[in-house]
Amino acid sequence: MIFRYFRLIRVVCFEGIAKPLWLSICSFHCLFLMIFSLANFSEGAVADDSAKYSDAIAPIFKERCVKCHGPAKSEGKLDLSTAAAVVRGGENGSIIASHQLDESLLWERIKSDEMPPKQPLTGDEKAKIKAWILAGAPGLPIGSVHSGGDHWAFRKLVPIEPPSVKNRMPGLSRMDRFIEAALERDGRTLAQEAPKPRLIRRVSLSLTGLPPTPDEVEAFLADSGLNAYERMVERFLASPRYGERWGKYWLDAAGYADSNGYFNADSDRPLAYRYRDYVIRAWNQDLPLDRFVREQLAGDELPGYQPGQAVSGEVADRLIATHFLRNGQDGSGESDGNPDEVRVDRYTALESSQQMISSALLGLTMQCAKCHSHKFEPISHEDYYRFQAILAPVFPAATDSLWIKPQARFVLAPTKQQEREFERKLKDLEERAAKLKASLGEWVSGNRPRGVVLFRDDFNLETTLAARWSNIAPGDNHPGGSPPVSVDSEKPPAARRRGGRLEVISGITNDSWLTTMESFDWTPETVGESIQATFDLVETRLSDQSKPAERVGYFLATHDFDDDGRIVGGNILVDGHPSTSSSVIVDYPGKDSTPKASIGRTGYVTGKNYGVRVTNIGEGKFRLDHVVDGFPEEGSLTLLAADLPNGGFGFEYHRERSFLVDNVVVERFAALPASDRSSIANRDEEFRRRQKELESARTQALGLKNNPPFKISWATDVSAKPPETHLLVRGDYAKPGAVMMASPISALANRNAPFLAEGSAGGRTTGRRLALANWLTDPNERASSLLARVQVNRIWQSHFGVGIVSTPENLGLSGSPPTHPELLDWLSLEFIRSGWSVKHVHRLILNSAAFRQTSDAAEVPASPETRSLGRFPAFRLDAESIRDSMLFVSGELDTTMGGPYVPIQVNGDGAVLIQESEPGGHRRSVYLQQRRTQVISLLQVFDAPTIVFNSLRRPRTAMPLQSLALMNSDFVRSRSTAFAGRVQRHESDEQNRVRLAFMTAYSRRVTGQEEMAALRFLDEQARFYAPDAKARSRAWIDFCQSLLISNEFLYVD
Amino acid sequence: MQSSPESYRESVTRRGFLSQYAGSLGGVALAHLLASGESCGVETDAAAGFLKPGGKAKSVICLFQHGGPSQMDLFDPKPALQKYNGQAYPGGKLEVHFDKQKGNVLGSPFKFARHGGSGMELCELLPHTAGIVDDITMIRSMKTESVDHESALRLIHTGRFLAGMPVWGSWVVYGLGTENANLPAYVVLTDPGGLPVDGERNWSSGWLPAVYQGTPFRSGNTPVLDLKTPADLPDRARNVQLKWLQELNQGHLKRHPGNTELEARLKNFETAARMQMAVPELLDFARETASTRELYGLDNPATAEYGRRCLLARRLVENGVRFVQIYMKGQPWDTHSNNAQSLKGLCATTDGPSAALVKDLKQRGLLDSTIVMWTGEFGRLPISQGTDGRDHNRHAFSMWIAGGGFKGGYTHGSTDDFGYESVKDVVTVHDLHATLLHTLGIDHRKLAVQHDGRGTSLTDAEVTGAKLVPALLA
Repeated sequence: MIFRYFRLIRVVCFEGIAKPLWLSICSFHCLFLMIFSLANFSEGAVADDSAKYSDAIAPIFKERCVKCHGPAKSEGKLDLSTAAAVVRGGENGSIIASHQLDESLLWERIKSDEMPPKQPLTGDEKAKIKAWILAGAPGLPIGSVHSGGDHWAFRKLVPIEPPSVKNRMPGLSRMDRFIEAALERDGRTLAQEAPKPRLIRRVSLSLTGLPPTPDEVEAFLADSGLNAYERMVERFLASPRYGERWGKYWLDAAGYADSNGYFNADSDRPLAYRYRDYVIRAWNQDLPLDRFVREQLAGDELPGYQPGQAVSGEVADRLIATHFLRNGQDGSGESDGNPDEVRVDRYTALESSQQMISSALLGLTMQCAKCHSHKFEPISHEDYYRFQAILAPVFPAATDSLWIKPQARFVLAPTKQQEREFERKLKDLEERAAKLKASLGEWVSGNRPRGVVLFRDDFNLETTLAARWSNIAPGDNHPGGSPPVSVDSEKPPAARRRGGRLEVISGITNDSWLTTMESFDWTPETVGESIQATFDLVETRLSDQSKPAERVGYFLATHDFDDDGRIVGGNILVDGHPSTSSSVIVDYPGKDSTPKASIGRTGYVTGKNYGVRVTNIGEGKFRLDHVVDGFPEEGSLTLLAADLPNGGFGFEYHRERSFLVDNVVVERFAALPASDRSSIANRDEEFRRRQKELESARTQALGLKNNPPFKISWATDVSAKPPETHLLVRGDYAKPGAVMMASPISALANRNAPFLAEGSAGGRTTGRRLALANWLTDPNERASSLLARVQVNRIWQSHFGVGIVSTPENLGLSGSPPTHPELLDWLSLEFIRSGWSVKHVHRLILNSAAFRQTSDAAEVPASPETRSLGRFPAFRLDAESIRDSMLFVSGELDTTMGGPYVPIQVNGDGAVLIQESEPGGHRRSVYLQQRRTQVISLLQVFDAPTIVFNSLRRPRTAMPLQSLALMNSDFVRSRSTAFAGRVQRHESDEQNRVRLAFMTAYSRRVTGQEEMAALRFLDEQARFYAPDAKARSRAWIDFCQSLLISNEFLYVD
Repeated sequence: MQSSPESYRESVTRRGFLSQYAGSLGGVALAHLLASGESCGVETDAAAGFLKPGGKAKSVICLFQHGGPSQMDLFDPKPALQKYNGQAYPGGKLEVHFDKQKGNVLGSPFKFARHGGSGMELCELLPHTAGIVDDITMIRSMKTESVDHESALRLIHTGRFLAGMPVWGSWVVYGLGTENANLPAYVVLTDPGGLPVDGERNWSSGWLPAVYQGTPFRSGNTPVLDLKTPADLPDRARNVQLKWLQELNQGHLKRHPGNTELEARLKNFETAARMQMAVPELLDFARETASTRELYGLDNPATAEYGRRCLLARRLVENGVRFVQIYMKGQPWDTHSNNAQSLKGLCATTDGPSAALVKDLKQRGLLDSTIVMWTGEFGRLPISQGTDGRDHNRHAFSMWIAGGGFKGGYTHGSTDDFGYESVKDVVTVHDLHATLLHTLGIDHRKLAVQHDGRGTSLTDAEVTGAKLVPALLA
C-alpha cells in the first residue's frame, strides 16, 4: 500500500514538486491530504490545495502584507498579492523553501517579527503560515515553488529586433544597436574606432593568444581595400593557434588536468591529452557546439560504436570526447584509507563530474543542493540526486564492487588503419627485438672473455653436493643462518642437485645461506686484475605452481654468518631484482649491515648468465660490476679492501626465493697490458651498446602493446542496468534516503516531454546521458536556450574581459544580472540559428563597432566605467598568453601541436617549471603538463588556476610577486636575451633595431620621442657595461626585458 | 544572515576583488595590498560591515599537527581506559573504520600530572608545554565532521567538507589586509622534508583571488621565488632599467588616465624591489641571542628544524605578517600503529619549540596580540587498531590555543569517560573559526563574499550553526 503511494508521489515529484513528501517533516494530516489528492488524480485535489492557500494564507497576506508588498508598492520587489507573484519572490530571491522553515525567508522575517514592521503577526497567523510551509506550500502553482520558471535565463529564446538608435555611423552592426541604445539612454555613445595597429593586436591576442607579427601588422596597415578588417579577422580565425587559445578556455571550463588530484600522489593521467587534442581540433574545425556537447556527454552512447570492432576516426573522437565526464579529480585509484575514506573518494569523482556539467554547460551552481535544497536557486535537494542518477551509471560511487578505478577506465577502439599500422609496427618491433637478442647471444658466445677458473661446478658430478657446498662458511664453524640449509635435501631451506642443476629451495622467513667450502681472495693484487663469480639462471621457480622468486640473492666474500666474528666486512649480499638493478648490502646480515648503491640495470630473468666482478682500480679501491652474460654493465660501485675479506661464494635463502641455477664459475682475469685493456674496454662498450639497443627495442614493443595509439581513456556506464541512486540525507554518504529517478533539474524540465532514458545502441549503457544530451541540445527545450546563453556569455567574456553576465558559472537567480540581457539573448539565438557555430559568434562580435572602438580613456572622458562599453576595456593578458607571447616575440615559440604533455619539473628552490633544454620546452602553455598540485610557478603567479573542479573565469590580480617574476625569473630573462639577439641579428642599425623591437613587442611603430628615449637608454646602459665587449648586447637585453614586462605588452587595449 | 545578495555583491565589489572584473576598481584593493597599517583604515568604510571593536589579536600562528594527535595520550587523561585496558570496549556506540583490526580498550601508557597555577593536566611527554599551561586554553571538547584526512583537513582549514573553498588564513587576510607591504600577508612554513598531506590545498585561497593564498616560504636561501636580481645585472644597471620601464609605463598610462590597476603595477615594481631586501633579512638569525637559540632548540637535532620554523614565525609576526602556518611533512600524528612509540618521537620534536614560541612571544610583549594555535584535524579512538595503534575519531579531539585574548590556564569542555566523544561544552571547528575571527575583531557572520550566488563566509553559520564561544576568552 505504502509503496503504491510512493510511486504515485514520485510521478508528481517528477513533475516538479520540490520535495518528496515522505522525506519532509510533515504532519500526518498533510501527508494524508496529499496522498489522497494524488491518488485520486483529480483536478479537485489541486483545488483542495489551492483552497488551502487561498483560504488560509492569501487572506493573511492580503490583510497584513500587500499594502507594502503588492502590485502598487512592491518593497524589496516583493509582491504577495497573487500565488504566482508569491512564487517569484523578491529581490532576495525566493521567500519560500517548501517544507523548510529554516530556509524560508518569509518565515525568518515573520518569526522574528521583523515583518510586518509595525504590527507583527499574531501567533495564530504565524502558526498557519508555518504549517503551510511545512506542508510544502500547497496551493501555489504545482512545481512552481522555487521553480524559477520565469527567470530570464530559463526562458526560451525568442527572436528580438535590435532597438533603434540615433547614431547613424556606418559600421554600426545589428549587435551594436543593443549597446548603443543603452549608451544613448545615458546620453553617451560608442567611441570612435581604435587605430589600426591596436585593432590587429586586439584581434590577434583575442583569437590566438599571441600578438601579430610585424609583417602581419604592416600588411594590415597597407591594406586599404574594402573589408580589410574583416579579412584580417578571417586570417586569425583560420590560424591553428586559434584552437589552442580557445580550446584552452574550454579545457578550463571542463576542468581538464593531466593528473588525478586529491591525494598527495596526484597521480598521472597519461592519456588525458587525447581529450585535450580533441578539444583543440574541435575548435579549429568549428565543430557545431551542440554536437561537441553531445559527444562529450554521451559519445559512447551515440550510434556508431560496436565493442570489438574497428571504428571510424569520427567515432573514435566521440569516445575520446567522453573524457569530459572524468575530468574531475579521482583519487579512487590510490585510495588506501578505510572504507569510509574510499567512499568519499568515489563520490568526489561523481560529484565533480556533476559540478562540471552544471557550471560549464548549464551555468548553474548545483552543489549547495547536495545537502539541502538550494536557498536561492530553483534546485531542490531531490533535483541534485535526480541529476546525479544520470551520471551514477558511470560513477557508481555508492557501491564499491561496481566501481572501476580510473586507470582501468579505458577502451581499445582502433580505426582499421590504426589496427593495421599497430599490428605491423608491433610485429616489426618484436621481430627487431628478437633479432637483436639472437645477435647479442651469438656475439657474446664468440667474445665472452675467459679467465683462469678458480672454481667450477656444473652439478653433473657423481659426488654429493655436500662435497663442495656447505651451510658453514669457509673458516667459520657455525652453520649459516637459522635454520641452517639442509644440503642434499628437499626440506626447505635446502639445496640439492636436480637434473644436473642446483636447486635452491627456500620458503622460510629467516636468513640462511649455502656457500662454497672453498675460500677465494676477493681483492686481486694488481691494478686491473679482477675476480668474477657467475652462474646461469635456469628457472626463477621450482614448479609451474610455485611463485617466481621475488629476488635472486647471492653472496661473495662469505665468512661468518653470526655477525660477531672477528672479521668485519664481507658477506656481501647481491640481491638480484626481477626487473631492475640489483641492490648490494655489505656485512649481511645483522645490525651493522650496510646497504650500498645498486649495481647494473638488467633484471633477473631465466636463460641468462649473471654475476659480479671485482676489479682492482688502484689506491686500495675495488670496483664491483654487475656482469650479465659475461659483460659488465653500467652502474658499478666502489668497495674498499676491508669490505672484501677472503671468503666463499654462495646463495641466499629468504622468503619466496626458490630458483634453479647452473654452471657456477669463479674465475680470475689478469691485468692486461694497456693495449689489450683498451680492446677489452672496447669489447665491454660494444656489449653495452648491443644490450641497450635490445632493451630499447623491447621497451618500445612493450610500450606500444600497453599503450597503443587507440587506447582511449573514456567514460561509459558500467552496465546497462543503472545502479540505484539514493538521495543522501544532508549529503551524508552514510545516510541514503529514497531512491531517485534520473532527470534533469525540474526548473528546466519539460512537462510535455518527459525525460526518457531508453538504453542505447547495443544495449551496453543506460541511455541516461544520451537523454541528457538530447534534452540539453534540443532547440525546442528551454535547456538549449540556457546552454546557448552560457556559452555565448563566456565567448563574450574572453573578448571583452568580462561577460554580459559577470558570473559565467552562474546565470541562475543568484547570479549577477546581465548588463545587456537582450543582447545576450539575440546573440544566443544567432548562435543556435547558425548551427551552433562559435566562429559565427566571433565574427558578429569582432566585426562590431563595440569591439573596434578605442580603449583610450583620455579620448572618452565621459566614461566612468567600461561594462556599458562606452569604450573598449583594457585588461591584462592571462598567464598563458603572457608566457606564449613572450616566446613568440623572442622568436622561440615551438608551434608543434598535440601529443603527450611536456613534463614539468621542480627545481631546487621548489619552483615548478619546464626544463627549457628538453624537447618541447618552448611549446605553447596548453601543451604543458597540467598537474593539479603543481601549477607552473610563472603561470600561477599570473592567476593560472589550480584545478580543483574547473575554472570559468580567472581573477586578474596585480601583485608584487608578479613584478618579481617579471624582473628576475630565468624565463623572462632568457626571453629578453633571445629577443635582443633576434632584433640585433635582423637589423644592423640601432635606430632600425629600436623600431623592430617596438613593432614586435607592441605591434605598432615607435614614436619619435620614444625612439630618442630608447636610444638614450641603450647608450647609457652600454656605457655602464663598458668595457665589456658585450656591453651593447647586454644593454639590448635590458631594453628588451623592459618592453616585455611593461604594461603595454601585458595588456590588451 | 545577510539581508540581500545584491547589497553583498555591492560591498564586495567596493571592497574590490582587486582588479578582476572591473579595471577601474583595482586600486581600492591594491591600496589594501600595499597599504601600511594605518592606510588599511581606508578599507574600513567598505569593510565596516564585518569589523567590530574589541579584537585583541592582530596575527595568528598556527602550529598544525597533521594526522590527528591522540587526545587521550596527550591532553585528556582517561583513567577508565587504564581500568578496562585490554578488555572489550564497555562504552556505547563506537564508529570504527577498520573492522578487521578492531581491538580492545587501549589505555595510555603515559602518566599525567597537574601543572602550573592552574593545575592543568598534561601527559609526561609534554614537559615544556607544562611550563606554559597558565598561558594557554586547552579545549578538550573539539568535534569535527569527517574521519577522512583530506576532508577533515578541509573542514578545519576552510569550514567545508567540499574542496575548493578559501582557508582561514585567506579569510583573515581578506578581512584585515597586511601591515607590511614588503612581505606576504600570509606565510606558510613547510617542512623541508616535504609537504603535509593535501599539500597546497591547506593554504589555498580557493575562489578568493590568489593574492589571499598562503605564500610558502621555502626552506633554505630562496624562501620566495625570483627574489634575486639576475647575476648579469648589477644593481645600478637594474635601477636604470627600472627607470626606463617606468618611462614606458608612464607613456602607456597616458592613454588610460585614472586606471588604478595600471598605476598599481608601476608601484609593484618598487615594492618587489623592497621585498628583495626585506625577505633575506628575515631569515638571518645572526642577531638572535644564544639563549633564544637554546629556547627554540636550534642546536638539538630533534628540534632544530621545527624550532627554526617556530622562531621564523615569531620574526614574521614581529614584522607585521598576519597569518603564519607551520606544517610538518606528511601526517606524522596518524598513529594507526605503534601509537605510544610514535608519540614519544613527535613530542620530542614539537613540545619544546611550540612552548618556546609562546614563552618568547610573551617575553616580547607580543602574546597579547598574537594567537598561537596547536591543533590537528581530528582525534583518535579509545580502542586499539591492531595491537598498538589508534584509528581516526571525529567525535572528539583536543587542541590548545594561546594569546590574543584567549584565557590562560583554562581547560574547556570534556569528553565521555573514554575520550571517545565530546559531551560537555562541545566546540565544533566552526565554533573555533567564529571565535578566532572574533578575537581578531571580525564578525564571522558578516565577513562574507558573494560566491555561488550567496554570501559565503568561513563559518557559514546558518548551515553549520557556528557560534562564538565566549568562555574561551579572557
